[in-house]
Amino acid sequence: MGKLATLAEAVESIPPGAHVALSGFAITRCNMAFAREVIRQGLRGLTISQCVGGMDADLLVGAGVVKRMIYGGGSLDRFGRLNNVNRGIESGTLIAEEYSSLSVAFRYLAGALGLPFIPIRSLRGSDILTRLQQMAPENVGVVQDPFTGEQWLALRPLVPDVAVVQVQVADEEGNAWIYGPRWDNEEQVKASQRVIVITEQLVPTEIIRRDPERTVIPGFKVSHVVHLPFSAHPTSVYRVYDYDAEHIREYAAATRTTEGFQTYLEKYVFSVQDHWEYLELIGGMKHLASLMADPILGY
Amino acid sequence: MYAEDYTPFELMAVAGARELKDGEIVAVGIGLPVVASFLAKRTHAPRLTILFELGVVDPEPIHTGVGLADPRVWYRATVMSSFVDMLGMVLHRGLVDVGFLGGLETDAYGNLNTTLLGDPWGQFTHFVGSGGANDIASSAKRTVIIIRHEARKLKEAVSFITSPGYLRGGDTREAAGLRGGPVRVITDKAIFGFDPQTRWMRLESIHPHTTLEDVLANMSFHPLVPDHLPVTEPPTVEQVRLIREEIDPERLYAG
Repeated sequence: MGKLATLAEAVESIPPGAHVALSGFAITRCNMAFAREVIRQGLRGLTISQCVGGMDADLLVGAGVVKRMIYGGGSLDRFGRLNNVNRGIESGTLIAEEYSSLSVAFRYLAGALGLPFIPIRSLRGSDILTRLQQMAPENVGVVQDPFTGEQWLALRPLVPDVAVVQVQVADEEGNAWIYGPRWDNEEQVKASQRVIVITEQLVPTEIIRRDPERTVIPGFKVSHVVHLPFSAHPTSVYRVYDYDAEHIREYAAATRTTEGFQTYLEKYVFSVQDHWEYLELIGGMKHLASLMADPILGY
Repeated sequence: MYAEDYTPFELMAVAGARELKDGEIVAVGIGLPVVASFLAKRTHAPRLTILFELGVVDPEPIHTGVGLADPRVWYRATVMSSFVDMLGMVLHRGLVDVGFLGGLETDAYGNLNTTLLGDPWGQFTHFVGSGGANDIASSAKRTVIIIRHEARKLKEAVSFITSPGYLRGGDTREAAGLRGGPVRVITDKAIFGFDPQTRWMRLESIHPHTTLEDVLANMSFHPLVPDHLPVTEPPTVEQVRLIREEIDPERLYAG
């Protein structure tokens, strides 16, 4: 059986309570179509992780999908804060394991390398560490350097059940290229048990074989390949389309209250059957064409 | 030639630029530190290397971005890589000379809070969190704090230490196993350093058209005040021109 799947099929492969690593960073390459489908399918109890929290995480948290979030802080850049995530933390409905960006990246790296733990200089002396020692003592410890005797903070590896990654280019096997900075995506992919690739463009393997140096995600880790243009909308995909500033502003304003967010959810998630209806709802090809990236600038 | 006409923001950006030496590596977030770093690179520090945490080196943007996640600020970069590459193999490795940090509030030891206001174990309002700020505060050789000069931002004690400064002063930072530490705090009224023994914040200079009374009245703790207090060097005409015409023409960072 091939790996090409619909978004619905890929989401159906994720059991309730799974740990899902998300590829988004603030307002770029966020798993937006994925998040909308997860919400429509009514998945519950997820643990999500990412180095910098983004719009994908905020949407999932607001919809009540997420039990635990492992992240290094986050925002919608100048558009605003992660209001749903913040409300969840303030009210205690979300268990947030909050680190720094590098701490989460190191936890993925340890998972990717199959190490039992990873020492790090970050977090020491901070209240981030104090809070983690209370909330997640199983994930932070102290280790002695066997060579110098120095004490180090040690972090437990992260091994997500599945990484969901938005990419620009992939083939049917899931060999994938990421253009632009990759933040935590490579370590996420390599730490995870398996990967769902959501790609803007599907290419023949022959194209991959001509430039294999570009391959960041190797096909052998990938269980599902979903070919879905504009699947990060309203966030940006470098060299493909820009962020939709007007839509993100609407989201930031809507999420200031739970009622506002419920209205947003109803309009953009529940009132449509799938991603194609969503694209029509936001203005169809005419609107999407206005977001297409300039080939030189990449945005 | 010094400028007559400049904004507090421009003075802060210029003061930030003056903290950077040619050939150094600087880790920056978005906003004023970006303006300070690009200004230094176009004037006295052409061999400065500018890093963004998500994996971008030395971009040459021609449009202003809304944050690090905006491809506008990645334009014409020499490297596009990852957190592990930037914050790991450069910063954690010990190669970053200067990190710029901002925040909701700081205390007299330069401990910074970007996480929450209120009681961390009770009622609080959650903001942004660390991102790479804690990593930069922990591993850069020195950090420069840029913050607005208000009593609610320059606090006796911060609600939450996201990014450690000198912790509880003296050698408590070194004892925690951390490198470097804050060397400057740049506000819109003054520039501060830290006493080498106690690590308590110390006034270094006050900006033109500002008084010592005004500086002290808008802080929640009392900094060390030297007997001789210089006036901050104003921006030059050329520095102001570069900021307005080339680095931030849309006035997006300058606000």
